Amino acid sequence: MSVDRADGTAAAPQATAAAPAGATEDKSGSLGRNVRRKEDRRLITGHGRYVTDIELPRMRHVAFLRSPYGHARITGVDVTAARDAGYRVFTGQDFSHVVLRAQSALPSYVETDQPVLAHEKVCFSGEPVAAVVAKDRYRAEDGLEFVDIDYEALPATVCAWQEPEVPVHPEAPDNVLLQRTFDAGSVTDAFTAADLIVERELVTNRHAGNPMECRAGVALWDAADGKLTFYNGTQVPHIVRNMIAELMGVPEGKVRVVAPDVGGGFGVKAVLYPEDVALCLMAREMPGIPLKWVEDRAEHLLAAAHARDHRYLIKAGFASDGTLLALEADVTCNVGAYSVYPWTAGIEPLMAGGLLSGPYKLDNYRCTVRGVATNTAPAGPYRGVARPASVFAMEAMFDDAAARLGIDAIEIRRRNVITPEDIPYKMPSRLVDDSGHYGECLDKALDALDYPAFRTEQARRREAGDNPIGIGVALYNELTGLGRAASAGPRMPFRTGHDACTVRINPDGRVTVISGITSQGQGSETMIAQIVSDAIGVGYDDVDVRIGDTDEALWGFGAFSSRQAVIGGGAAHNTAVAVKEKLVKLAAELIEAAEADLRVVDGEVYVVGEPKAQISVAELARVAYLESNRLPDGIDPGLDATTFFDPIRGAFAAGAQAAAVEVDRTTGELRILKYVCVEDAGRAMHPQIVDGQIAGAIAQGLGGALYEHLVYDDAGNLSTGTLLDYLMPTSAEVPDMVIGHVSHPAANPIGVRGVGEGGTLGPNAVLAGALRDALGIDVNTLPISPASVWKELHP
Amino acid sequence: MKCAPFDYVCANSVEEVVKVLGEADGDGKILAGGQSLVPVLALRMARPSVLVDVNRVPGMGRIRPVEGAVEVGALVRHSQLVEQTHHPLLAEAARWIGHTAIRTRGTTGGSIAHADPSAELPVVAVGVGASATVAGPTGERTVAADELFVSALVTSLDDDEMIVGVRFPLPTRWGFAEFSRRHGDFALVTAVVAEVDGRVRITLGGVAAVPQRALAAEQVLADEGTAHDAARAAAAEIDPTADLHGSAPFRRAIAGEMVRRALVRAGIE
Ligand SMILES: Cc1cc2nc3c(=O)[nH]c(=O)nc-3n(C[C@H](O)[C@H](O)[C@H](O)COP(=O)(O)OP(=O)(O)OC[C@H]3O[C@@H](n4cnc5c(N)ncnc54)[C@H](O)[C@@H]3O)c2cc1C
Repeated sequence: MSVDRADGTAAAPQATAAAPAGATEDKSGSLGRNVRRKEDRRLITGHGRYVTDIELPRMRHVAFLRSPYGHARITGVDVTAARDAGYRVFTGQDFSHVVLRAQSALPSYVETDQPVLAHEKVCFSGEPVAAVVAKDRYRAEDGLEFVDIDYEALPATVCAWQEPEVPVHPEAPDNVLLQRTFDAGSVTDAFTAADLIVERELVTNRHAGNPMECRAGVALWDAADGKLTFYNGTQVPHIVRNMIAELMGVPEGKVRVVAPDVGGGFGVKAVLYPEDVALCLMAREMPGIPLKWVEDRAEHLLAAAHARDHRYLIKAGFASDGTLLALEADVTCNVGAYSVYPWTAGIEPLMAGGLLSGPYKLDNYRCTVRGVATNTAPAGPYRGVARPASVFAMEAMFDDAAARLGIDAIEIRRRNVITPEDIPYKMPSRLVDDSGHYGECLDKALDALDYPAFRTEQARRREAGDNPIGIGVALYNELTGLGRAASAGPRMPFRTGHDACTVRINPDGRVTVISGITSQGQGSETMIAQIVSDAIGVGYDDVDVRIGDTDEALWGFGAFSSRQAVIGGGAAHNTAVAVKEKLVKLAAELIEAAEADLRVVDGEVYVVGEPKAQISVAELARVAYLESNRLPDGIDPGLDATTFFDPIRGAFAAGAQAAAVEVDRTTGELRILKYVCVEDAGRAMHPQIVDGQIAGAIAQGLGGALYEHLVYDDAGNLSTGTLLDYLMPTSAEVPDMVIGHVSHPAANPIGVRGVGEGGTLGPNAVLAGALRDALGIDVNTLPISPASVWKELHP
Repeated sequence: MKCAPFDYVCANSVEEVVKVLGEADGDGKILAGGQSLVPVLALRMARPSVLVDVNRVPGMGRIRPVEGAVEVGALVRHSQLVEQTHHPLLAEAARWIGHTAIRTRGTTGGSIAHADPSAELPVVAVGVGASATVAGPTGERTVAADELFVSALVTSLDDDEMIVGVRFPLPTRWGFAEFSRRHGDFALVTAVVAEVDGRVRITLGGVAAVPQRALAAEQVLADEGTAHDAARAAAAEIDPTADLHGSAPFRRAIAGEMVRRALVRAGIE
């Protein structure tokens, strides 16, 4: 795969943040340039520090015994053979006093308990029931064979839109854990007035984030201090600390969570899992002995969070000119066996209902969403949460209506999309769109695709009887960087709108930033260093960023909802500005100049109009820490600050994707001829990182559209338990892409809009639209495979 | 996903391999490239008491062209097959096996002995009428490919026998076509067309438990039928089963199309 930028500059050149010496104006910023990533040296040369790399004295390894049944009562547990063989064994009874109970204040929500290790019954195949501790992982797995669990099988339910024979949780006899109806205007009246009603049943495929590094943890209980240290490959170390402390009844100050380098997350690692809690509880039982668990791929496919197993019964009413008049939907999300902790079973259904109408104007909307438990692995957050499915459903309405009304598929979208004049636009779910730049993204995308040329080629092929080609498009609005007002959706007992940041100018004038953000490979350290070096006026190379350790950073909710550039970045900027204020005040006093006349550039302080630097940041820092004899009255020692930032609302990122595909009529194979994406990142802080995020997200979106499918049989066994059966796209399957940008800064300190997830939103809809365009067939289920296309062609 | 305990013997000769296998009494396994065996061990789906590593056994890593055929040592890696020019069909087929890392380690003997119904080399072996040289406690014997493959992952080799080499006859005309979900995946369907001793043989992989000759389709060609007719006959005579990647009718259709493409590539229209 290679990425072309739509402006024709191909891969943007690498630049370093060297500042022009003697400049009095700040022309040397690192933001907006492809500075060398802080992470590159260690990650590219094999010096990354992942949980797997942690080796501690006396360390022991843990393996989990997992349920072979989708649904069964546990009738007997016998660990004598394992103990006789010398293994330390833990079972559900050992930790039956601890349960994970994801909470939400939504009226219909049914709270359920997730055990740390199952003891009464197992609710999905792969659920942990016991754990064995041994000298190494091989022996730990040997030990599992000595543990005897008796099961009495129960009928399993794997489909969320089928009546359960035996419910997963007795508290929810119909398996429905949450249901909510969004209602605006009057759909009934609008359907009566409509000239056309289109109606579809769409089913999307269960799949998962599958980061390259699976889950991992090392837990150590220090008996002397009564303190737990938990190295965890997580996206959310502070949330983990908060929850572990509460679940274990330990003061929060006595829990340290460290997320070192993390090899991908995609939402899968934004969940606190029973295995994590078990590891910490076991460590407390074995003081002084670090316990390590590194998940393998088979476990990951079985038991880490799944996603995107939805059904949409959807109906849209249109006027004859293509105006969307009403939208009605019934959305069922298969949330798996447990309400995922702490996000709840609401995470996917509420996102689906809240954003179904996407970037389109709509007055009359009724949508009932529900999260339904089944005997499958719990569903949780996955990059784009529900939106790849909901965009697929929404865009299907337009493609369908366009064909029936004889309107061009592009034109019908233009007639309905939210425009800059409509901003702020209150969506029928009452979210407020602050963007409106969808039309511009679409125009640029069609330009980059060379839309007319493909239409010409399409006509030629139709004439010649060659393999057909089709063009598909999708528009979307991705809600990013949600502040307290926007993050209130699932009504959980916390609001994820803010992050903290500490900026410290050290005695040598260099800067250390301790940020509450986390990184799973996105280049977050680079971003924070760029923001802080620009805000203060020091060199990018003079800023170090430390993240991931709850004993260092004050607070950060972590990586999800495309929030860190907006919120963590905002916090870094504001904090750096606060430190700079003190720096400038100190400088003004020392060199006897007016604060307003001072400029800080590349670590030197200039007075406007004078070519020579007057004093360096290093000297100011020395005064601040070491030479209090030179400190002016009223200025305290030290040069640091810690502040929080919350954008209150969110920033919508507009996006458009388009592709031309070719279909082989005999085999049903689909070949992507060209794939284009244009997004609004607001201000692109590091263009290469932005493009990388978009390209990676599209690759995952294509995986979901064409390959990835977690399939259960009726008894609740996972049929796709290894990467032999669970197909992920490799570089050979991901086409070259053209990525373009529009740039409309958002109303936050650095003007950014999140770009982490948007790319995943388009591919389902784009490819389904392209197939319809090529062959006139409806895509009602995903993934699209040669077999599914062939079946449509040979009914 | 860690294997159960086993003993490990690094053998230096074929005799030693056969001896250790004999002593293991059915509980020993040869370790060649490890690309099929190690995953099976890691999943604990196989738990041999002893692994006999054959990678140091001398003399089995060579490719030798002989009159009308090519002799391939059991330890010849898939990547060597790709690079050699004596047997273009083998080179083409080997290109379709997995990815670079797998082709660098995986061996011809291992692939034939593993007998995966979707693997490329067994289809070529049946397709050209190859024969394996097999060493056992009483010396060597020769086994024809179509007698070697008994069922999915099952061969007629005894527990204490080892493939030392495979003789692949050179076809006068050939064509290869494969359909898989992703680049490097095991095939959904592989079709090999090979003209050997004046007869065009058509062999399919992925449609049955062992590589299957499409005899009816071959007869169509013998009766001067077209590639199109032969492809239809091949699709009709097989009985594929449905799986995650497609229904039986879909596999049948794909098999027909792959036969057609392989025939066209062999110059048979
Ligand atoms: C990700 C992946 C993708 C793959 N894709 C493909 C593909 O597309 N097509 C394909 O054909 N293969 C594929 N393979 C399998 C690969 O080709 C293997 O290398 C091959 O099937 C076995 O060869 P090996 O040397 O690795 O054998 P091993 O794994 O070492 O052994 C396999 C079996 O054969 C036995 N054995 C080995 N050598 C001998 C011998 N000389 N005599 C008797 N018994 C012996 C072993 O005891 C064992 O039972 C793939 C493997 C992987 C891991």
